[in-house]
Amino acid sequence: MASSTTLYIKGDRDVEVTKQDVTLGDILVMECSDKTVLPKIKTLRILKFKKPGQQRCVVSVLKIIACIHEQYPGIEVQNLGETDIIVTYENQKTPPLAWHILKTIFVVAVTFFGAAFSIMAFNNDVDVTKLFGQIHELVTGQETSGFTILEISYSIGITLGILIFFNHFGKKRFTVDPTPMEIQMRLYENDIQTTLAEDAARKGEELDVGTMGAADPSGGHRS
Amino acid sequence: MWAQWAQQILLAAIGVSAGAAAAGGLFAFIVELGVVADFADRTHTADKILLYESSVALGGIIGNLIYIFQIGLSAGAAQSDIGKGMLGIFGIFAGIFVGCWSMALAEILNVFPVFMRRVRIVRYVAAFTISVAIGKGLGAGLFFFKGW
Repeated sequence: MASSTTLYIKGDRDVEVTKQDVTLGDILVMECSDKTVLPKIKTLRILKFKKPGQQRCVVSVLKIIACIHEQYPGIEVQNLGETDIIVTYENQKTPPLAWHILKTIFVVAVTFFGAAFSIMAFNNDVDVTKLFGQIHELVTGQETSGFTILEISYSIGITLGILIFFNHFGKKRFTVDPTPMEIQMRLYENDIQTTLAEDAARKGEELDVGTMGAADPSGGHRS
Repeated sequence: MWAQWAQQILLAAIGVSAGAAAAGGLFAFIVELGVVADFADRTHTADKILLYESSVALGGIIGNLIYIFQIGLSAGAAQSDIGKGMLGIFGIFAGIFVGCWSMALAEILNVFPVFMRRVRIVRYVAAFTISVAIGKGLGAGLFFFKGW
């Protein structure tokens, strides 16, 4: 093999696998000018989950490079992706659809009643009814009946405010931006991934070149 | 006549602005604490996040209507088991939501990491979680039982 061959690898931060044997092709995308080595490198085994059931392992990109170098010492590896890859092994493929729907209904119910409770608690807390009575008297000089234009327009305002804030109604989006919850979802996932990677590194459980064999519960057997 | 119209328009302007501002504040608070993102992540239903968002929006809109206009069931239906059942459903789901919300608030304010670091606790974190949960539950029960 020519010593000038460069292999470019790119991995996501969080990869889910369904088989116990994890090969480089499962967790990375790669590109190489020498097309003949690509399929061989893709089948290199980076780790093996010993027991079935859900488990996780954090793999350092150095370990991956070491794994490639062991078979192809002349190749130059360029990492364009993450430096720590979280590999999650999940046994069962997909849970039944009914269970998925049931969970969705549960979350919908919690968020719906929770939001309804929150807005009522907020209104109660700041005593909107009394405040509206005072504003009504200030502007018109008359006692409020409790059902005036103020209450109606407040309700319209709440509706508008929520829809503008969330930036969509049903499937219809008002602008092309992601909604606040989509952003929050991503942030949350990022936080979890950072925590997992740093936790593993701190506990010495990360599959890295220095820690080979020692503190490695998942087993880093290479082919 | 014109003065009355002007008053009504002024009230309407106040109402709409107040509503939009309150909605923005409250719902930013709900979303930024990440409660719903947490739910979606735990249940592995992140693909339904738009639906959850709609659900929060609809809950806010309808909850506000119920509060402001005192919408209720007719007296007969409210007395029946249906009324009680609906209250039960509302109670359990609203309770779950507020429980998660209050803990998310504590989390965002870094209450736990600060305490853990100060008193140098590294183990038995699960025990603290459980005791916080039981404490909150008992506290809420005591609050309602005594009618405070």
